[in-house]
Amino acid sequence: MSRTWLAVLAAVVVLPMAVRHAIATEIWIFAIFGLGLNLLLGYTGLLSFGQSTFFGAAAYVAGYLLKHSAINVFLALAIGIAVGAVSAALVGYLCVQRSGLYFIMLTFALNQMFYFIAYQWTTVTGGEDGMPGIGRPALLAVDFRNPLAYYVFVAALFLLSLWIMKRIVESPLGKILQAIRENDVRAEAVGYDVPRFKLLAFVIGGAFSGLAGVLYAMLFGIVPLEAIGFVFSGNVVFATLIGGSGSLYGPIIGSFVFIWLSESVSVVWERWPLLLGVAFVIVVLFFRGGCVEAWARFWSWRERRRAPAGIAP
Amino acid sequence: MALLRTETLTKAFGALTAVNGVTLEVQAGTLHSIIGPNGAGKTTLFNLLTGQFPPTSGRIVFDGRDITRTPAHRIAHLGLARSFQRTNVFPALSILDNVWIAAFARGRSWRGLVWRRSDRYTEIVERARAALADVGLADKADQPAREISHGEQRQLELAIALAAAPRVLLLDEPAAGLSPDETQKMVALVRELKGRYTIVLIEHKMDIIMGVSDRVSVMHFGSLIAEGTPAEIQRNPEVRRAYLGGMVAE
Repeated sequence: MSRTWLAVLAAVVVLPMAVRHAIATEIWIFAIFGLGLNLLLGYTGLLSFGQSTFFGAAAYVAGYLLKHSAINVFLALAIGIAVGAVSAALVGYLCVQRSGLYFIMLTFALNQMFYFIAYQWTTVTGGEDGMPGIGRPALLAVDFRNPLAYYVFVAALFLLSLWIMKRIVESPLGKILQAIRENDVRAEAVGYDVPRFKLLAFVIGGAFSGLAGVLYAMLFGIVPLEAIGFVFSGNVVFATLIGGSGSLYGPIIGSFVFIWLSESVSVVWERWPLLLGVAFVIVVLFFRGGCVEAWARFWSWRERRRAPAGIAP
Repeated sequence: MALLRTETLTKAFGALTAVNGVTLEVQAGTLHSIIGPNGAGKTTLFNLLTGQFPPTSGRIVFDGRDITRTPAHRIAHLGLARSFQRTNVFPALSILDNVWIAAFARGRSWRGLVWRRSDRYTEIVERARAALADVGLADKADQPAREISHGEQRQLELAIALAAAPRVLLLDEPAAGLSPDETQKMVALVRELKGRYTIVLIEHKMDIIMGVSDRVSVMHFGSLIAEGTPAEIQRNPEVRRAYLGGMVAE
């Protein structure tokens, strides 16, 4: 367990030396977004295709206040988390009553609704042009306009998010959500109000999405319309599945693969989504548990290859 | 006084009346069996008792309290726990977690729901382990539920119901699909639980019913056609005609 944390810490330290600071920062932001989705997807078994609703709503609201009211960083984060949680409560309340395909379509449809509100409401959101001019207010004496300072801030928040999510999935709630994923009829029969627990998962996931949304707005200084679009919702699902939805750490690896491909390879080769598509097909066909499972299988394969050799005289 | 009672309980699915005016009394501390041919409405009756779906008409009274339209997750908290005819566990979770979930649902408080580590709830863990020990699965606690045999899954099915510390245990064909050997083990288990719990048992296998039941009710096409002690039921000509047929003819 602590070895995994060491690996994460090492990645946090090494990443800004390996790639541009903005990309490194984006990776951890997207990882926070993925952690929130995975509570729904991996732990509760709910495929939400509307996570950008909460991400985008938080980015717009906090971005607007950062622009016009000069609020401090922590207030901006708190507002973003609250907007993410509240919008997720609204959307979740409507969605958890349905299951299967209807559930997925409903998350998608509501996402589209929020998208068109942002698209039409140009006086506030800027519509297709996005909402530019969002600053990064300094905290105490630290100037977050320095990319490295902002990176450290985001990485610290990511580690905090990961720790909180770890506590949540190891709590009774984590077990109950998994029980609902495995068998919702039985979960109801032993005494859990299944829709209410699904809603709780939504709200927590929404809070993580909201945090990621604000950090994203401050990173790029703009909330693009895409931040609330369905492609963005799909991206976080892809990233999480590629990383491995069965593990707490899957979305982190997924975020790394996804952002690195989209930001680094896209410069060299504009058809880069093709790579993503191939990776996705491989995951769906062979590694349902994503990179995490591929890694675990590789190690057990090595163990098996080495074991007989050790016994042989 | 009857601990669990139904009054002219009826459930219709369109034109099919699966449960038809069933009035039943289960006395505290007894083992009450419900028998009947396939499709007689036994499992539907259980689904009504545990709030899986609401009845079309009639009433259900548990411990003097009307629970007719109470949702399933509330009924569990009142102390009505059931096992399912078709194994209905949490496949990817460990055996211990399967039971832990049921024990936690009925726990005294849900404090620390989103924060406390689940293995720190020592009282819940102990109750879960006790339920596993009751059914003889204590040594498999860490295995995922999908990896154990069908017979063991049936035992787990029962352990999940037991872990909820029920006042009434509703067992839906606990021996379904078991080999003769496993069936013997299950009968011994049910015999052991008798007296500790008020039990309502649905069963197909007559040898199980006749040996352990205090009272037997017979269902046929959704209605109760007879009730009595096992001996009375075996002598009842209507029951013989409807269901037992040649099975007790000797």
